[in-house]
Amino acid sequence: MKLRFYISAVMVASVMIAARSHAQDAPTSSESHYSTRYSVAVIDDATFYSNLSVPIPSTLNQVLLEPSFNVNINHRWSFSTSLIGATTTYSATTTQLHVKETYAGLSAGDFDFLAGRKLVRWGTGYAFTAAGVLDPPRIATNPSDRLNLNEGRDMVKADWVRGQHALTLAWSTAALAQKGTNLRDTTAFRYNVLVHGFDTSLIAGNDRGGDSFGALTFTRVVGQAWEIHGEAAWREHEAILLGAKYTMASGVTFIGEFYTPPNIAYYRDSSVSPLAGRQHYGFLNASKTRLRELPGWKEWDLSGEMVINLDDHSYTGVFDVSRWFGKHVSAYVHAEIPVGSKTSEYGAAPYSNSTSTGIRFQL
Amino acid sequence: MSKVNCTLRTFLLLFLLALLLACAMVSRAATTSDADSLLKRSDTYRNGWPSFVTRVKITNFESGKPDEEKLYEVSQKGTDKTYVEFMSPREKGRHLLMLGDDMWVYLPDTSRPVRITLLERLSGDASNGDVARTNYSADYTPVYMRAEKVGAEQCDVLELTAKRKGATYQRILYWIRVEDARPVRAEFYLTSGKHIKTAIFDEYAESNGKLLLRKMTLYDEIRHNSHSVLDYSSPTHRELPDKLFYQGRTDRY
Repeated sequence: MKLRFYISAVMVASVMIAARSHAQDAPTSSESHYSTRYSVAVIDDATFYSNLSVPIPSTLNQVLLEPSFNVNINHRWSFSTSLIGATTTYSATTTQLHVKETYAGLSAGDFDFLAGRKLVRWGTGYAFTAAGVLDPPRIATNPSDRLNLNEGRDMVKADWVRGQHALTLAWSTAALAQKGTNLRDTTAFRYNVLVHGFDTSLIAGNDRGGDSFGALTFTRVVGQAWEIHGEAAWREHEAILLGAKYTMASGVTFIGEFYTPPNIAYYRDSSVSPLAGRQHYGFLNASKTRLRELPGWKEWDLSGEMVINLDDHSYTGVFDVSRWFGKHVSAYVHAEIPVGSKTSEYGAAPYSNSTSTGIRFQL
Repeated sequence: MSKVNCTLRTFLLLFLLALLLACAMVSRAATTSDADSLLKRSDTYRNGWPSFVTRVKITNFESGKPDEEKLYEVSQKGTDKTYVEFMSPREKGRHLLMLGDDMWVYLPDTSRPVRITLLERLSGDASNGDVARTNYSADYTPVYMRAEKVGAEQCDVLELTAKRKGATYQRILYWIRVEDARPVRAEFYLTSGKHIKTAIFDEYAESNGKLLLRKMTLYDEIRHNSHSVLDYSSPTHRELPDKLFYQGRTDRY
């Protein structure tokens, strides 16, 4: 309770200080008073499950309507909303509205303030994260959230940015989170700096009624083709992530990651036994956007990846193909093939493979 | 007496040689200095103000036919800070940030800053580097090569060598109009020496009291039937805050 009071007091004081600096960087008269951005995506996605081992429907159909709108006033005030309307046909047909993001922001002097639901990504991992304490959950078999279904956390956040240094203080409540999630109220602090090409962050915080945590993240580009990234976090025990990306001259990109979280409730996947001990994972991805820089080829994007549990030797192979038709329409196929014993993490999936196919309209 | 003459002659000869060497060095320094100032002047046609916003429409042509169109809003501050917002439907929600040699791309599905490498920077007809990096005097060391005509234009030719490995290209041959230092043509080379692109600076137009580049064409020298036209519009002087160029900022709009 006291902690919340102090955080609120710090944020109110910061807003007051920032408001006083308001007049110092008012926009010039030649600039427009407001600007807007919008986008709309409509997706029809059908997933077919093969060789089901449990009596459940073998087809899942989703129709998604995803509008988003932003307005920015005088480069100072902003409002942003992003919604997901979903009609799902599985064992029954349901329609739901989800709020992906909706927040208001104030930018004044060196300060940015934000209140509302916001997607935050503090982790640097592609498929896994140990340090993304406010991030939506990473799903290693769907790291890019292909249907854009991730939702943000409800929070108040203050950023102070000067030069290469940035400090962030955030308080997130779990009161409005969806039922079934194990989110808690989280208070987190982050210091981010770019030094000698290292984009480095220090993160610390506390989950209400739970753990305190600390983390270090970095990314760095090495030479012309390599990017390396990593995370080290402490929450009861240590969690480590190391990864690299390599780009070939042809444009083919490879991403590899090694991740080892402790087997505690916060990190554990529901399919992993609490008695299984520390887990170790590997991730490999090869992708090429714009297959070739030639007409008929550059509309194609290809990706293949493998997520491996190195302890029980189970893995899932994932393949994605998409093609653009004109400026607004694309179609895709996404396939997942889990392999492993029925008691293993990926082998426990109740199907031998799932294939999703869909069409996306984007405005 | 002859010994004195001989010494005097040797001394005079050495003095003459030293004088010639000094003249050559001064001349070389003057040429380099001229090349520097020429390059800085030519940069002003693409960077009208120390802090500004402009729109760039890129149309890719294949075998002479328009194939693809992309729209960007570019915010630039100083010589090393560029922020690019992708506006076309296929890329909507993407952002690109360049700080010196470091580059990040923000993807809408992750809103996570992703570090991108130099090779990723070079992809496409008009690469990220072509859009985001237009201050050659900050990235390249110029050497004056020769005077040469391009069409009817009398030009100075500069050879630009990258100051760092992180520059978009390792070598550029740059034709600048003698009359007003306006860029006319550029050839871009990789570290391997491969000539990959040629730029023709087609049109200039006055905007907010400045004469600025309006249209540029990039020809692919590897696939000769492909080229891209870059149309610049709405250049506006704007005092951009430093925090716009902070790499950790994910609420990008």
